[in-house]
Order: sequence, then C-alpha cells, then structure tokens
Amino acid sequence: MQQFWQNLSVISTEHFLILGVVLFAIGVFGVFLRRNALITLMSIELILNAANLTLLAFARAQQDMRGQALALLVIAVAAAEAAIGLAIVVGVFRNRHNTNLDDLTLLRY
Amino acid sequence: MMGLGSVSSSLLLLGQAAQVQQVPAASLSVQGMAPAWAFWILSVLTVVGALSTILRRNLIGAVMSMVATFFGIASLYALLSAHFLAAIQVLVYAGAIMVLFVFVIMVLNREEAEPWALRSPVIKALGTGSLVYLAVRLGEMLLSPKAGVLQTAGHPSGEYGTVASIGDYFFTKFLFPFEAISILLVIAVIGAVVLARTVAKPTSVHEAGAAPLPSSNGDGDDAAADASHGGH
Repeated sequence: MQQFWQNLSVISTEHFLILGVVLFAIGVFGVFLRRNALITLMSIELILNAANLTLLAFARAQQDMRGQALALLVIAVAAAEAAIGLAIVVGVFRNRHNTNLDDLTLLRY
Repeated sequence: MMGLGSVSSSLLLLGQAAQVQQVPAASLSVQGMAPAWAFWILSVLTVVGALSTILRRNLIGAVMSMVATFFGIASLYALLSAHFLAAIQVLVYAGAIMVLFVFVIMVLNREEAEPWALRSPVIKALGTGSLVYLAVRLGEMLLSPKAGVLQTAGHPSGEYGTVASIGDYFFTKFLFPFEAISILLVIAVIGAVVLARTVAKPTSVHEAGAAPLPSSNGDGDDAAADASHGGH
C-alpha cells in the first residue's frame, strides 16, 4: 500500500504512458460505440493525441528532441485528416442526408 | 458549461507548469518528472473530457468536451517540457480543428436517431471483458514496485523543448519530413475543397452552353437536381 502512495506522489514516465493507454482506449471505444461519423472523427483525434502523449513521454524520458519533432508531424497529419474527414462527412451528408455510419454499406461485400 | 471552467483552470495550470520548469530543480520538493498534483488534476480533466466526448448525445457538447480534453493534453505536454508543442496543440486543436467541427455540425445539424452501435451481446461481453482486463493491468502497474524504472534522473537541459531546438531539428535532420508534411497539407486542403464543393457542373455547362441539346437532359439534369437539393 505504501508503494501505491509512492507511485501516486512520484510522477514517472509510466504515469504518462498509462494516461496515454487510457485515452487511446477511450478513443477506440468511441469509434466502436458510436454511429455518428463526427463522433468517430473526434475519437480518432483522441487516439492521435494519446499516441502523441506517449511519444512526448518517451522523448522526455530519453531527453531526445526527435520525439517532439515527430509529435509535431503527427499534429500536422491529424489536422489534414480532420479536414479531409469532415469534407467526406459533408459530401456523404449531401448525398444521403444522414451521417450514420451503419447506413454506409455500399462498398461492403 | 464544463468547457469554460476547465479551460480557464487548465490555462492557469499551463502558466504554473511553465514557471515550475524555470525554477532550479533543487529548490523544489518535486520528485519525479512533474508535480504530482498537477499531473493528477490534468489527467482527471483529460479523461473526464474524453469520456464526455464519446458519451454525449449533443454534438456541440461533445466538441466542447473535446476542446477541454485538448487543453488538458496541452498542459500535460507542458509538464513534459514540450512548451512549443503545448502552444501548437492549443492553436491547432482548440483553434482550427474545433472551428472545423463546430462549423460542420452547424451545417449538418441532424439529431441522431440511435446513437449506439453495439447491439450484439457477444460484442458487448467482449468490450466489457477487455475494459476489465485493461483496468486490472493498469491497476497492477500502479501498485507494482517496479514503477518508475523508466524515469531518468535529473531535469532536462535548458535547450530541451524550446522552439530553437525544434527548429534546429526541422531544418537539419527532419528537413525531408518537414517538406513532405507541407506538401501533404497542401494536398489535404485541395482535397477538402474538391470533396466539399457542390457539384453543379452539369447546370453551369448547360446554362453556359450556346445550344442546349434536348437529348442531354436526362442524366445530367438529375444529377444537378440532386446536387442542388443536397446543397440546400
């Protein structure tokens, strides 16, 4: 139990990694649980942020700036993904008048 | 609303975290990589915001929770001595991406009939099982005496995380990825414009054409009618 309090009061790299895992899991559950395309896009942003947090935690532990440079590239890719994804959502809505992912089965099978 | 209060509190924390980094490590009683209270407050804010993002039915509320989450993550970046990335995170996510999402939600403005995608009990059992497994393993990690082995001793050097050092990397070792990402962003912008544009070409060609042929009225007019109907 003392170890538990010690782990709570001294923040190490593992704490940031655990937080990254929790955020990643929440993002994955958002993708699986929700049918709305916009919520799915937000969940993907959460997943990318969790990956970024992990990158920065390792970069900080190893005192290596390359992790931060990579995280900046990930942010740029996330911005591009959000722009394209939202454009696709708008296009789908224009054609089908809803954004329910379960209805988009044209390319299935 | 949840967004404003947590946003202001995380801004406050961001400032304090920046101050903590400037004070020499010896004068603080902070063990580990970051002050524990800041880490726990920020992680609770981040996780609650993320849960609220995926569980809310109201889309605008979900976006505001997402923004609160991103502020929390930005503050965590600052705790990890990545001050430049914390600023970029706030600018890109809480600025640009939030505006994009809010704009699209305002344009679409549709209530969803049935928001949850899981119906099969097998899938539900699998999801619950994996959640329980994850919780058990993470709790184990927090209790384990081996926690902290990844932590390196001492605070980073003064150059770590500054704009100058990131710029140094991007203009020497990361020059090619830097240029590639700029090309990717241009492609993304053009692609977004092409995808979201109203397809009204058949009508414009039809109206601009000198002599509209009676036989060309079939498919083109249907597509144009569909497109203009969807546009409104």
